[in-house]
Amino acid sequence: MSSAVRVHGLWKRFGQQVAVAGIDLDLPAGRFIGLVGPNGAGKTTTLSMVTGLLRPDGGTVEVVGHDVWRDPVEVKARIGVLPEGLRLFERLSGRELLGYTGRLRGLPGAEVDKRATQLLDVLDLAGAQHKLVVDYSTGMRKKIGLAAALLHNPEVLFLDEPFEGVDPVSAQTIRGVLERYTASGATVVFSSHVMELVESLCDWVAVLAAGRIRAHGPLEEVRGSAPSLQKAFLELVGARERDAGSDLDWLGGGPR
Amino acid sequence: MSAPTAVVVRLKLSLLRNGLRQSAGRRAAYVASAVVVLLVAALQLVGLVALRGHAHAASLVVLLVAVLGLGWAVMPLFFPSGDETLDPTRLVMLPLRPRPLVRALLAASLVGIGPLFTALLLAGSVVSVAHGATAYGVGVLGAVLGLLVCVTLARAVAAANIRLLTSRRGRDLAVLSGLVVAVGAQVVNFGAQQLGSSGLGRLDPAADVLRWVPPAAAVGAADSASEGSYGSAAAQLLLTAAALGALLVVWERSLTRLMTAPDGSTFQAAGSGTRERRGSSGLARLLPAGRTGTVMERSLRYVWRDPRTKAAWVTSLAIGLIVPVFNALQGTGSPYFACFAAGMLGIQMYNQFGQDTSAFWMVALSISSTRDAYAELRARALALLVITLPYTALVAVVTTGLLDDWPRLPEVLGLSCALLGAMLATGAWTSARFPYSIPQEGYKNVAPGQAGLACTAIFGGMVAAALLCAPVIAVTIWLNVSAGGDAWTWLLLPAGAAYGATLTCLGLRLAAPRTAARLPEILTAVSRG
Repeated sequence: MSSAVRVHGLWKRFGQQVAVAGIDLDLPAGRFIGLVGPNGAGKTTTLSMVTGLLRPDGGTVEVVGHDVWRDPVEVKARIGVLPEGLRLFERLSGRELLGYTGRLRGLPGAEVDKRATQLLDVLDLAGAQHKLVVDYSTGMRKKIGLAAALLHNPEVLFLDEPFEGVDPVSAQTIRGVLERYTASGATVVFSSHVMELVESLCDWVAVLAAGRIRAHGPLEEVRGSAPSLQKAFLELVGARERDAGSDLDWLGGGPR
Repeated sequence: MSAPTAVVVRLKLSLLRNGLRQSAGRRAAYVASAVVVLLVAALQLVGLVALRGHAHAASLVVLLVAVLGLGWAVMPLFFPSGDETLDPTRLVMLPLRPRPLVRALLAASLVGIGPLFTALLLAGSVVSVAHGATAYGVGVLGAVLGLLVCVTLARAVAAANIRLLTSRRGRDLAVLSGLVVAVGAQVVNFGAQQLGSSGLGRLDPAADVLRWVPPAAAVGAADSASEGSYGSAAAQLLLTAAALGALLVVWERSLTRLMTAPDGSTFQAAGSGTRERRGSSGLARLLPAGRTGTVMERSLRYVWRDPRTKAAWVTSLAIGLIVPVFNALQGTGSPYFACFAAGMLGIQMYNQFGQDTSAFWMVALSISSTRDAYAELRARALALLVITLPYTALVAVVTTGLLDDWPRLPEVLGLSCALLGAMLATGAWTSARFPYSIPQEGYKNVAPGQAGLACTAIFGGMVAAALLCAPVIAVTIWLNVSAGGDAWTWLLLPAGAAYGATLTCLGLRLAAPRTAARLPEILTAVSRG
C-alpha cells in the first residue's frame, strides 16, 4: 500500500506552548482519512505544517513522495487545501475567485472556466456565482473554498473542519462531492471533532490529543471493542466522566 | 477607580504587553518609535519653555494646540494607532451601562504614548504663556481639560465612524474622510508659508479666533489669566469644559447605539440582491495572459471593491494632486512638487501581502519558486503602474502648466519616474521583509503591537527611496546650476525613467527570493487581523 502523506518527527512550539510534540504518521493513499481530536489538540497546526503554510520546528513531511519544504514545486501542484480560520479573497465574486485561483495555478483560462461552471453547479452555488464572497454564508464559503481546492484536480485534499458551521443541506452536498472524489482513487484528509461524522465518512482515522498521536489505523481497528468511535476516543484521550453533582450544586433553573 | 475602569485599564495594558511579547524585533521597533516620540516631545517642551516671554508666544502655542486637536480628530481614522486597542463592540455582551463604560474607556485611552505626548505639549504650552500663580492654576486646569478634550474627540470620532466602517456601503463613504487629511495638511502648509514670509506676527489673527476654540481655548485661558482678563479666562475654561461635556455625550450616544443596534453585517445580509455580471470583464481582455494578468486583474478589482484599499488610494491620489497644485495656485509652488504624487502613490506598493490579509494563503500555495514570487510581485507593481504612471504624468503637466514653467516638464517627469521606481523597489522589498496585518474589522490600520513595525517599514523605506534617487537629484541640480546645463535637462526624462525602471527590476529581483523563502512567516505576520 503506497502512502499519500508521510510525517516524521513533526514538532511545533509557540513560545512555551508545545502545539505538536513529535508526530509520526503514515497516511495511506486512496482513503478517506479523518484526523480527530479535541479543540487545541494540534489538528490545525499539523495540517498547516503538512500543507506548507506553517514552518515546523523540526521533522519532515512528504506528500506523494515529495518533501514539502525541499520540493514545493511538486507538492503544491498535487495538493488542494481548505484551511480553517483564514480568509478568501472576499471581494471577488464566487466565479471570479475560482477564475483567479485556477489561473494562478497555471491552468488554461478556458479549462478554468469550464471546471468552475461544473463545480459551481454541483456545489449548488450557480445562483450566487456573481455575488461577492463577502456576502456568502458560512456554508457557501466552505463550498466555494472546496471548489477552489478541487479546481486543479489535486491528488491529496486537505480540509480543516470542512463541516464546521455548515447547514445540513450544504454538508450533504460537500459529502457527496468528497465521496465521488475518493472513489476515483484520490486521498482526502480532513480534521474534525465531531466523531459521528468521522465515523460515518472515514475508513481510516488518526486520533490526536495534546500534540501527540494516540492511535491511528483503519476505523474498525481504532474503534476496537468500544460501541462507538466517540467512546473509544474518550478512552484514548483519557477524559473521565466526572460526578457533576458535587461541584455545580448551585446550577439549575427554578426560583431564585 | 471604579471596578470597570480598573478592569478596562488593566485590559489595555495587557493587550499592549501581549502585542509586544510576540517577537523581539517587534518589541525593538515599538521601543524605538516610543523613544523617538518622547524625544520629540522633550524637544518641543524645551522649545516651548524657551519661547516664554516672546511677544507672539501665545499665538504660536494656541495654534499648535489647535493643530494637535485636529490631529486627534483625524488620527483614529487614518493612522496606525495603539490607542484603539479596546474595541467597544467586543464588550457588547457584557452587562455594562453606557456611563461607566465611557468612564472606563476614557481612562484606558489616557494610557499610551499619544496622550503622554499631548500632556507634555500642553504642559509646555502653559509654561510658555502663564505668568503668575493664578495663570498657572488656570493653566493646569486648562491642560487637564485640553488633554481630556483631545482624547474624547478621538474616541467620539472613532465611535461615530465604527458604524460607517463596518457597513459595506458606509465604508465606501468613509473614503471621503481621506480628503480631511489632505486639506489639513494644506492648512498646515499654508500656515507655515505665512510664517516663513512674514514672521510670527501673522499668526495673531488666526490665533485670536482659535483661542476660543477648544482644545486651544484651554491654553488661551492661561494666556488670558496672565494678562489679567480673568473673565475671558473663565469663559475659555468653561467653553473647553462644555466642549468636553458635549463630546462625552456624543460619544456615549454613539456607544449606546453601537451596542444596541444591529451592526452593518446584519443589514447587509438582509438587503443585498444578486447582481448579474458578465463572465469576464472587459478589463481582463486587455491584460496579459498567465499569472501576470490574473494578479493584475485581482489587484485592480481590489482598488475599486475593497474599501480599505480604495480609501488608501483615494487619499494618495488626492494628496498627490492637492499639494503640488495648491502650492502652484498660491504662487509658492515649484514644478518639483509634482514628484509628490509619485511618492504618495508609491506608498501603495508597501505591505502588499498585508493588504491581502490572511487570504495570502491562496497566493502562498501557488508560489513554489523564486520565479513565481517574481511574477507575483511584478504583476502587483504593474497593476500599480497602470494607475500611477498616467496620474503622475498628469500631475506633472498640470503643475508645470499652472506655473507656466514648461521647460522644466522633462526633468520633473524624469524625477517622478525615478522616485516611483525607487518606491516600488523599496515597497517590494519591505513587503517581503516587514509584512504586517491590516485588521479588517474595526478602524485600525495596524494590528496592536505591530505599529512600530509598520512605521519602520514605511518610513525606513521612504528614506531608502529618497537616498536611491540621490543620483538623479544630483544630476538635476548639477544641470540647473552649471552654465549651459539648461540645454541638456531634457535628458533627465529618459535617464530618470530608465533609472526608475532599473531600480524597480532590482528591487523585485531582491524581493522575490525573500518572498519565496519566507511564505509561512509572511502568512503568520499578515494573519493577525
